[in-house]
Amino acid sequence: MAAESRSASKSSPPSGDHFAVLGLAARHDLTRDEVEVAYLALAKQWHPDRVGPDDLAAKRRSMEASAAINVAYRALRDPVTRLEYLVKLGGVDLDSSDPKTGAPAPTQAFLVDMIERREGLSDARQGGTLAGFRGEVEDAEEEAVDAALAAITEGDTPAAAQSLVQRRYWQRLLDEIDDTEHTST
Amino acid sequence: MAYSDKVIEHYENPRNVGSMDKSDDDVGTGIVGAPACGDVMKLQIKVEDGVITDAKFKTYGCGSAIASSSLVTEWVKGMKIEDAAEIQNSQIVEELSLPPVKIHCSVLAEDAIKAAIKDYQSKQGAGSDS
Repeated sequence: MAAESRSASKSSPPSGDHFAVLGLAARHDLTRDEVEVAYLALAKQWHPDRVGPDDLAAKRRSMEASAAINVAYRALRDPVTRLEYLVKLGGVDLDSSDPKTGAPAPTQAFLVDMIERREGLSDARQGGTLAGFRGEVEDAEEEAVDAALAAITEGDTPAAAQSLVQRRYWQRLLDEIDDTEHTST
Repeated sequence: MAYSDKVIEHYENPRNVGSMDKSDDDVGTGIVGAPACGDVMKLQIKVEDGVITDAKFKTYGCGSAIASSSLVTEWVKGMKIEDAAEIQNSQIVEELSLPPVKIHCSVLAEDAIKAAIKDYQSKQGAGSDS
């Protein structure tokens, strides 16, 4: 209802994908500092408190901008979620089970390995070798991240998606190992 | 987290948990995974004269995935393999009253029994005609 305030339209709110919102190039090899510096500057610029209390339109715009900036920062500050987001920009949504655009099914060899590891978990727990078992899974998780990174660098979204799906399986197993550790102590 | 009573019942008392020798020619093994949630399911059948005489599963996943595979192993025992291959995920959804967000768990169980049957059939086809 209020007319557009002139002061608030001096710069347009950040828009587009998460990288564009933060004014960053859409690439994986950003440092945490780069992401943080971009975030802090924009968060300050678009903080709702910088708008006078009577300018409702500008107030709303700065709140929307702040929300977008926060969401973008949360998605991009962590290297793994940043990789997952790059894959999403490439057309594969890892959170979806859609057979065409969702997370790709893991290979049979991978699933067989996963079943065997799961079966090995109870042996490791009983045999007192949980720490070594966990180390192996941790290494596998890191290898999957490295493979996804290499694939993204080559612009191979399907291969990156496959590696990130594997990473999620490993992460899930790590979470279960940690649950086991907590319940057994 | 509104699990139905039947899901909870299967989750707390899963039927037919275990493994069979996957190198046995009479055993078919299906291993499937749901990539979006990280669930993995192994379902095995033992077949004699075209009839499933035993079924075992191991599922590492949520309650609905465990219940779906537990239910399928119960259903297929005593079934002819052709009939077991006809099992649809919608039957599992109905029996367990799965909510829409858990339908993929029933799909996983359907995929697992189909994969187990396929594995058994390929072993028979490839096996020696003794």
